Amino acid sequence: MTSWLRAGPDGTEPTAPDIDPGAMGVLIEQSQDIHSDAMASTVEALDELVQTGAEIRAHGDLDPEESRQAAARRTRLMTGAAFGGGMLAAAGIGGALQSLFASPAFAASATDVQILQTAASIETLAVSTYKTALTLPFIGGASANPVVKAFATTTMQQHQQHLDAFNGAITGLGGKTQTSPDPALAKVVAAAVPGLTSPGPVVALALELEQGAAETYVVDVATLSDANAKKLTASIMGVEAQHASVLLAVQALLDANAPQLITLAPGNVANLPAAAGSVGFAMAFFPTDQARPATEGALS
Amino acid sequence: MRRRNRSPEVMAISEQELTVMTNDLEQIHNDVGVPAMNKAVREWTERSRTSRRGFLIGAGAVAGGALIAACSSGSSSSTTTTSGGSSGAPTAGKLTGDLAVAALAAGLENLAVAAYGDVLTAAGAGKLGTVPPAISTFVTTVKGQHAQHAQAWNSAITGAGHAAIATPDPVLTPVITADFKKVTDVPGAAKLALMLEEVAGATYQSAVGVVKAVSSVQVAASIQPVELQHAAILNFALGQYPVPNAFSPLMHARPLTDYTG
Repeated sequence: MTSWLRAGPDGTEPTAPDIDPGAMGVLIEQSQDIHSDAMASTVEALDELVQTGAEIRAHGDLDPEESRQAAARRTRLMTGAAFGGGMLAAAGIGGALQSLFASPAFAASATDVQILQTAASIETLAVSTYKTALTLPFIGGASANPVVKAFATTTMQQHQQHLDAFNGAITGLGGKTQTSPDPALAKVVAAAVPGLTSPGPVVALALELEQGAAETYVVDVATLSDANAKKLTASIMGVEAQHASVLLAVQALLDANAPQLITLAPGNVANLPAAAGSVGFAMAFFPTDQARPATEGALS
Repeated sequence: MRRRNRSPEVMAISEQELTVMTNDLEQIHNDVGVPAMNKAVREWTERSRTSRRGFLIGAGAVAGGALIAACSSGSSSSTTTTSGGSSGAPTAGKLTGDLAVAALAAGLENLAVAAYGDVLTAAGAGKLGTVPPAISTFVTTVKGQHAQHAQAWNSAITGAGHAAIATPDPVLTPVITADFKKVTDVPGAAKLALMLEEVAGATYQSAVGVVKAVSSVQVAASIQPVELQHAAILNFALGQYPVPNAFSPLMHARPLTDYTG
């Protein structure tokens, strides 16, 4: 198995990245304090979702205008007019599902639950993938770069929080929680696992999952009907994009044989090559061509 | 702009490979991201033109010819455009609904473009000390992306027959201007940029839950993640953990009343 720390270009022994583990812990602690503030608004949205679900179950219907708007959005999706291009149509949506959608009273909640279940399935897979990665010595073991190890650990925890939040939203809308991984992406991960023999392939796989998740949620916020489900998803899509951005930067430094620059040490920015300043976000507008089909992880 | 001397051997390899990767991503952006954004803006514009209820364009005319008439102290705003007439000329009137959000966003983007431009100017004049090459690239690239964002938001406004918002956000501009006068080095400039990115990202995230048209949501949703990516890289450059939140917060979002006033 290839070592995470590569030899220098002149054949010198690899050196450990310059990072203070104690300082890293403080940084993560500070981040978690900020995160607690962020959670407050998310919890509020989830509480409202639960209330919405209770009202739906109590009254058996939704706001007529909301249902009308959901039906319009659904039509746009099925004709391929939506941003990203006909997700449900691309997924081979059939007559049975269209019949389900024919009931305007439940159209919004049914569609939203499917979207949220797919999101939960993506998060489930992300958690398990990072968990597997952390068992590798060059990601979570003694030979791992401390920043990469901390990133994998923290990101796994963040995905678990996303999973819990999506499932909370599903429950709030009266649906069944999704704890199985996205079946299509799970095959991609399973095929990649044997090749995870060095940091590069691990980063590439994580990047594929993060980019796919972010793009899926960008599409979802324009598709979801429930306002709180939309707010929740909007609060997660940018975080996945940030994960992707960090992974792009890490990938570039690995490819450039400069893993020693993957560090949060003060002043490290002075050592980064010029191109590192833009490699993490080359697109001014976030794409959606890798978004997953809305029903891919939905429960039947 | 002054650049720090670096080890030519390591950096030559890094520069080449990273530049190739950046170019590849830029190509993807041009192939995928821009067409998708253009499509969303076209849909938004079309909806603005055909809206019978007028909630997008806003029917209430406001006297005065100022490009931005009001937006005070982060409270309510009534964004107006230059006067004009029909037959393709910009129309006078208060922007409401989705177009008011677009106006607020365009102002934020204009401010970001101006602020990053000031950073480049200050760096060129040696006022920020030694500027790492990665920071130079970051500032130049991000400034260009914010210009594209401003253009996208303004496309919706001009498509509806109004004049583009060409001035920076009137609430934040005095704050940023005053703070930038105190900046003497790259970390100081990076912290200020981080604040701007967080405000923009949070504002667009908030907009996702406020705007009515699906195409409006699409525009906001395609830009918010990019602003947060800028913030992640700025955090990394500052030696801070790059993804501090599992859920991106709204605490820095511009007030809701600033969209709809």
